[in-house]
Amino acid sequence: MKHNYYIFKSGRLKRKDNTVFLETIDEERKYLPIESIDSLHLFGEIDLNTKLLNYLNSYGIIINFYNYYGYYSGSYYPRKQQVSGYLLVNQVQHYLNKEERLFLAKQFIISGVFHMVRNLRHYENTKEYIETINRELSDIDEVPVIPALMGIEGRIRNVYYSAFNSILKHGFLLNKREKRPPNDPVNVLISFGNSILYSTVLGEIYKTQLDPTVSYLHEPSTRRFSLSLDLSEIFKPLIIDSLIFYTINNKILNLEDFDSKEEICLLSEEGKKKFIKEYEKKLSTTVKHRKLKRSVSYRSFIKLECYKLIKHLIDDELYKPLKAWW
Amino acid sequence: MYVIITYDISEKKVSVVNKLLKKYLTWTQNSVFEGNLSVGVLKKCLMEVSRIIDKEKDSIYIFSVEREQNIKKEIIGIEKNYDDIIL
Repeated sequence: MKHNYYIFKSGRLKRKDNTVFLETIDEERKYLPIESIDSLHLFGEIDLNTKLLNYLNSYGIIINFYNYYGYYSGSYYPRKQQVSGYLLVNQVQHYLNKEERLFLAKQFIISGVFHMVRNLRHYENTKEYIETINRELSDIDEVPVIPALMGIEGRIRNVYYSAFNSILKHGFLLNKREKRPPNDPVNVLISFGNSILYSTVLGEIYKTQLDPTVSYLHEPSTRRFSLSLDLSEIFKPLIIDSLIFYTINNKILNLEDFDSKEEICLLSEEGKKKFIKEYEKKLSTTVKHRKLKRSVSYRSFIKLECYKLIKHLIDDELYKPLKAWW
Repeated sequence: MYVIITYDISEKKVSVVNKLLKKYLTWTQNSVFEGNLSVGVLKKCLMEVSRIIDKEKDSIYIFSVEREQNIKKEIIGIEKNYDDIIL
């Protein structure tokens, strides 16, 4: 039962008594039991030193850093212990082979869209949107190249986002998906949610032998761990979007949790905390797995997806993406 | 598994045991630790503890519940949360 710790306070994080010790500027002291830390997420202004990093290293704990606005800015990774040259070679080979790459890219989109439709089905007045999405999706089999696939994905996403307005209540509206910078509350939530999901997926990839920089749907480029973007396609609608509907429609988040300044909208600290609390709850929710015959949490589903990908890459079992059956 | 560990230990060893338990659980009261641990990690913890203490003089009680929902906890006065993950 390891936790993610989210630290919003400012202060100092250090190694003390062979565990992690947080000392905040308002003189609050707290020990975080090292054995229960999965990863640390630092949102506040935190000082730390190499002694702590070395110690976290030996436990394989990742630290994720976020900037003032709550966007993911980077991570500190312990030396990678799970390495496999064999898998890396295969991973790259699947990227270089056009058909293999297209196959994997399609799987990510098919699964992502499946979960989008699954979200929409829960609500009334979304029939038209679902039909439009399914029509777009039927073209996917004949797509010859990745850019065309991205085109279909973009069109589906537009339809999907326009359905948000008939789902969201209490005065929340999504006019147009706007990323840089997000300019209304719903856009802010999508961006914030996706950014914490990326770091979660990355953390799970990091526990396996996969190389996070070699990806299939997104073009692998420098400065990005694009494999976590690929896998996030599957989980964004499943976890983040359903969480957005849940938090807004159940009045967990209100319009007061957002500050708008000169066309930029920000989620307040209180709002971030509320959202993260629900996010963590969601990640630890379990579902009975049909094949494994035991309960599996949403977080483990992310790791299982990595394992399935590995199996595919080493020609053990054809990759079948997750399609939530519950 | 939800675990509560309490101890009564001679002065010399108190701080050693306290330090060790801090690695695994949250220190909620002077000689009480609480938290969620997996069965394996709990075993590891107890093994380390039993290596340190003097079994003739010291005592450590371990209360554990498999499902946390099955425990009823009431608090009078100050509450120290063991499962605060947002700080």
